[in-house]
Amino acid sequence: MSSLSQLIRNENMKIYRRPRTWLMILFLIGTVALMSGLMKWDESKHDAGDWRAAVTERNAELSHVVQNNAELGEQSRSDLQNQIKLNEYYLSQNIDPDRLSVWSYVNSSASLIILVTLLTVVVAADMIAGEFTWGTIKLLLVGPASRTKLMLAKYVSTMAFALLLLVLCFAAALVAGGVLAGFDGLSLPDISIDASGMIHEGNMLFHALEKYGYSVVMLVMYVTMAFMISAAFRSSSMAIAFSLLCMLVGNTLSALLSGYDWVKYLIFPNIDLTQYMDGATPLRPEMTLGFSVSMLIAYYIAFQLIAWFLFTKRDVAG
Amino acid sequence: MTEAVLELRNLTKRIGTRKIVDNLTFDIPAGEVFGFLGPNGAGKTTTIRMIVGLISMTKGEARIKGVSVKEQFELAMTHVGAIVENPEMYKFLTGYQNLVHFARRHSGVTKQRIDEVVNMLGLQNRIHEKVKRYSLGMRQRLGVAQAILHRPSLLILDEPTNGLDPAGIRELRDYLRKLTREEGISVIVSSHLLSEMELMCDRVAIIQAGKLVDIRSMQDAREQSQSKIVLEAGDPVAAQHLLAQLFDAAQLAVDGTRIEIAADKSAIPNIARVLVAADIEVLGIHAVQKTLEEQFLEITGGEMVV
Ligand SMILES: Nc1ncnc2c1ncn2[C@@H]1O[C@H](COP(=O)(O)OP(=O)(O)O)[C@@H](O)[C@H]1O
Ligand SMILES: [Mg+2]
Repeated sequence: MSSLSQLIRNENMKIYRRPRTWLMILFLIGTVALMSGLMKWDESKHDAGDWRAAVTERNAELSHVVQNNAELGEQSRSDLQNQIKLNEYYLSQNIDPDRLSVWSYVNSSASLIILVTLLTVVVAADMIAGEFTWGTIKLLLVGPASRTKLMLAKYVSTMAFALLLLVLCFAAALVAGGVLAGFDGLSLPDISIDASGMIHEGNMLFHALEKYGYSVVMLVMYVTMAFMISAAFRSSSMAIAFSLLCMLVGNTLSALLSGYDWVKYLIFPNIDLTQYMDGATPLRPEMTLGFSVSMLIAYYIAFQLIAWFLFTKRDVAG
Repeated sequence: MTEAVLELRNLTKRIGTRKIVDNLTFDIPAGEVFGFLGPNGAGKTTTIRMIVGLISMTKGEARIKGVSVKEQFELAMTHVGAIVENPEMYKFLTGYQNLVHFARRHSGVTKQRIDEVVNMLGLQNRIHEKVKRYSLGMRQRLGVAQAILHRPSLLILDEPTNGLDPAGIRELRDYLRKLTREEGISVIVSSHLLSEMELMCDRVAIIQAGKLVDIRSMQDAREQSQSKIVLEAGDPVAAQHLLAQLFDAAQLAVDGTRIEIAADKSAIPNIARVLVAADIEVLGIHAVQKTLEEQFLEITGGEMVV
C-alpha cells in the first residue's frame, strides 16, 4: 500500500520535471524584478531634493485647507488632521515618507500574488485532467493507492507549489528592494495612525505578511476551484481554459450584477477580503466579513467534495 | 488446477440497458499464461478494467489471491500489475524516472530491483532517455517493467500485441515465458487474435458478447485436435458403401467426389487396401489436422474475428 509521502514525491516529480514549471518560476521572478525596477525609476524621477522642506510645505497646505474650508465634512477633516500628525511624526523621526525602503518593494510585491494565483491555477487545472490527456491515468490508478489518497497527494503538491511561488515572490522582492534601497531599511517600523489620532509603530515584516495573508485566501480559493475543474474535465487544455475563464470573468460579472442581492452568494464578491479593510466598501452594503468568511468556507468544502466525488466515483474508460 | 490467482464471480457490467460483461464466473489458475480470447467488442477490456478497479462492477466480484477488489482495493492491488490498452507513460520523464514513479507506490521496491527488471526486459541501453523518444515496442516493454516491479502474483496485459510487428510479438512471448518461469508470475493476456494466443497461452477463456463461451487448455486442444482423412475416389458412391462397413455413418461426409472420414491417419492403409481390393480408383488420400482455429470457429459459431 502506498504511503502518502511517496505519492506526494511522485506528484512533485511530475511538476518539477516539466520545463513549463521552470518557465513559470522564471517569469514570476522576472516580473518582480521588472516591477521593482519600475518603482525605482519612478522614484528617481520625483526626487525633490530636500524632503524635509517638501513635507513641511505639504503640511502647511493641509492646515490651510482644514482652516479655510468650513463645509468640510467631519470625516475628511479628521483624515486630513491625521495626515498632518503623521507628517509631523515623520519629521520628528527623520523618516522620509516618500523614499522607497526595502519594505516598499516587499509590500508592492503582494499585488503580484494575482500572478502567483494565475500560475498555480494553471498547474492545478492540469493536475488531474493532465493524467487523462496523457493517458497515464490508467497506470496511475492501477496501483495500491486509493483514489482518495492520490487526490490528496495531488492537492498537497499543488498547494506546496503555490507556497513555493509565494516564498519566491516575497524573497525576490526582498532581494530586489534590498539591492535598490539598501538592506538597512529592514529595521524600519510600520508607522500608522488610528482613528483617534494615535500613532503606532508596528513590525514591517508582520505588516507584509498580513498583506500576503489576505491575498492567499483568494489564491487558495481559486486554486481549489481549478483543482475541482481539473477533476471534472478529461482534457487539460479545457480545464485550464475554463479555470482561467472563471477567475478572470468572475469579478467583472459580479460587479455587473451588483444590483441584485443574490450576487452576494456567488464566490467572486466574497473572495477579496481586503474589501473589509481600510474603509473600503464591499460589493453590497449588507455584506460583512463574517458573511464572506462563511461563504468562502462553504465554497471550499463544496469544491473539495465535488472534486473528490468526481475523481473517486467515476468510471475511467476510454 | 492449482490454487486460483483470480476468481471472478458473476462479474457483470451494465451501461445503460446493455450488458457489456454478462455474469462471468471462472477461476484463473496460478502459474499459467491465461488468455482472454474474443472478437473486438466482446468485453475483454471492460472485464479487465473491472478487475483492476478502473470502472465499477454492476454486479458480482473479483478476488485476486482471495482479496476482494471491491472491499480491499489497496491490498488487492499489491498483488497485481497491469497494462490496460496502450501503456501510456509520462513522456517528459525518462524511462528510469517513470519506473521510479511507479516503484514509489509500492513498499520495498529497491534500486537493484529496478535495475534487474530493466535488464530482464532489455531496456538498459536507453533507460535514461526521455520516453517520448521510445518506439512502441520499447514503451510496451517499459509498461511491462512498470507492472512487474513489485513482483506481483498476477500480471494483466490487455491486447499486448497491438501495434507490435512479428519480431516484437515474438519478443513479448519470450519474456512472458521468462516471467512465468523466473518470477512465478501468473499472466492474463487478452487478444482478438487466436493465432497469437495459440503460441502464448496455456489456457484460454473464450468470451463473446460479454459472456463466457468456453475455457480450453491449449495443450488439450492440440492433442484432441481431431484429424480427418480426405479421400477422392473414382466412384464415390461405391466407395461410400464400402466405407460404411468400416466406419459409423456419423464419421462419413460426402462432398461431391470428396469423402471426409473422421478418423486418425492410422486408418489410411486399411482404407486403401479395401478400396483397391474392390477395384475402386483412389485418386487421392491424405490426413488433415483440424486446426485450433476451426475448433474455435465451431465453438463460437463461426463469428470469431481472426
Ligand atoms: N464506457 C462505455 N460506454 C458505452 N459502451 C461501452 C463503454 N465501454 C465499452 N463499451 C462497449 O462495450 C463493448 C465491449 O468493449 P470492450 O470491453 O472494449 O471490448 P474488447 O476489449 O473485447 O474489444 C463494446 O461494444 C464497446 O462499444
Ligand atoms: Mg479491448
